[in-house]
Amino acid sequence: MRTNYNAGACKQFWKKMIEFSLQVECHIIQAILPEMGKLFALSAKVEEFADLFPDLDDPELKESWNDGLKEEAKGDRNALARLLKSPRLPYGRVEVEEDDVDDLLRGLTEIRFTIRKTSLKSVADEELESGMPSLTSSKPEVRIGYFSYLLMAEIQERLIEEIV
Amino acid sequence: MSPDILYSTLATPILEESTDLDERLATPWKVIVLNDPVNLMNYVVMVFRKVFGYNDTKATKHMMEVHELGKSVLWVGEREQAENYAYQLQRWRLQTILEKDD
Repeated sequence: MRTNYNAGACKQFWKKMIEFSLQVECHIIQAILPEMGKLFALSAKVEEFADLFPDLDDPELKESWNDGLKEEAKGDRNALARLLKSPRLPYGRVEVEEDDVDDLLRGLTEIRFTIRKTSLKSVADEELESGMPSLTSSKPEVRIGYFSYLLMAEIQERLIEEIV
Repeated sequence: MSPDILYSTLATPILEESTDLDERLATPWKVIVLNDPVNLMNYVVMVFRKVFGYNDTKATKHMMEVHELGKSVLWVGEREQAENYAYQLQRWRLQTILEKDD
């Protein structure tokens, strides 16, 4: 069997990748990733869209609105799952197909909201926004949650820098 | 049933309903984004640029309003388009509400 190597035949298999290295120690990433897996599993249950609906008095619109958001969020979670399963992420390397970037950015936001509502629920908004929560007396799950939260933010920042 | 009877029983409610609908559609609606402690500043700017096509300066101005004042009115106009924008913003996980522009 002959393989067709002309440009048209190869084009469909070629996808532009966005790649960068995180400025985070590998051992921190490797310590966080198992926890990220648990938070990822939790995010589909925690993240409800009900509180996001604009204040309109229309139950049918509200239902279709929320169903639409839930359905579209699946693509975001899939993009995040691909990142978390990536064999090079434990070594600080992020590789994302360009077509996946928007989904991944949204997926990262969703899991940051999940971390906020679970591991970091005892941390005040002001502390979180200032980026300086007092972690010394915090429980291990709060500390791991906070480092996961920061790691996801770092990936988001870098991705945005790459595409803007 | 004669056409006259049909007209006399149905004409009034249809007219009222369509007037209500016209009024509802004619009222401008505001698309308002609320502050949250999670989303990054450059993420919010990026979303405003993507959804509204704003340039960096305008998107940053609205982001700073959200950050400092707790909310910003991103757009005012007819309800259908306002819903469309609100949906897109919520798709990006920004806390968005709609209000009548009275």
